[in-house]
Amino acid sequence: MVEGVWLWLTLLAIGSTTILTRGSFVLSGEGARLPPALQRALRYAPAAALSALITPDLLLDAGAFDPVNPKFAAGIVVALAAMRSRSPWLPFIAGMGVLLVLRKGLGW
Amino acid sequence: MNESFKRGAREGVRLMLPMSVGLIPWAIVTGVAMRSTGLSVVESLGMNLIVYAGTAQLGTLPLIAAGAPLWLIFVTALVLNLRFVIFSAALAPAFHGASWSKRLLSGYLLVDGLFVLCADRLLRADDPHWRWGFYVAPALLCWSMWQLGGIAGILGAGVFPKDWSLEFMTTIALMVMLVPMVRQRAMLVATLVGGLGAVLLRGLPLRLGVIAGIALGIAAGFVAERWTEKRRQAW
Repeated sequence: MVEGVWLWLTLLAIGSTTILTRGSFVLSGEGARLPPALQRALRYAPAAALSALITPDLLLDAGAFDPVNPKFAAGIVVALAAMRSRSPWLPFIAGMGVLLVLRKGLGW
Repeated sequence: MNESFKRGAREGVRLMLPMSVGLIPWAIVTGVAMRSTGLSVVESLGMNLIVYAGTAQLGTLPLIAAGAPLWLIFVTALVLNLRFVIFSAALAPAFHGASWSKRLLSGYLLVDGLFVLCADRLLRADDPHWRWGFYVAPALLCWSMWQLGGIAGILGAGVFPKDWSLEFMTTIALMVMLVPMVRQRAMLVATLVGGLGAVLLRGLPLRLGVIAGIALGIAAGFVAERWTEKRRQAW
């Protein structure tokens, strides 16, 4: 866990990316343009980044590769809920529900 | 205050109201996620104010929890926010002639929903006063909803028992963002390669596996896009 002054520095660093990206062209003026190839590659950045953050949490159990674990089961339910329903709450209720039942109810 | 500024502000707020209310569940979840990662109430409120970007906030929480180095957290946040460079480039002409402080404020406030709903009319409008009202009023509405929802989540997080694995809310929130993105094959390839890359390369020092996975995912998506185009042309 990052703590204390380091945490605040970290928050400022994360916050600086908000200004750097959102402000980039708004601040530098309308003359600048983004190269088309870069623009196309950037389209894949959010999906790749989100997946790189999510997948280890779903497929690893205590650091070891183990796809048969409660979080992966809950993850499948979350994906189905997010695909099928427009309710913003359902994936959270369903995902946390499955995880809690498996961990606390069944002791997995 | 200028009459056309007020008119722009009213129209912008009316347009944004439904979507801004939709931010509240997200803000609450982000608030709960920050607290269950181990941030204090003040630190969580600070993060909501300083960063004001849900994806970057949720995405960096696992790295903060793991004690990852500062530069790695910075690069990950940068990648998660990269889509805003595209929005910023598209919106830039609408801020023609605006002061530097207005541009800085506009940059900080530029969230996804604002771009989706307002960009089109903003770029077609000629009156700079109307444009400023039409941008800044709905932008501040989104900001207020995000902060209010965040405060509710941050203060309400203590209601849940500690052993409820609430940190999993972060993963759920990131999944809910990811699922609607995966509509084409190239995007699916980027998602799978990014995710499995991060898992397979988890042994790299300094948690570099995450960045390596992201880079592989972007490259794979780009290659897959080229490949599907070529096949389509060959037919």
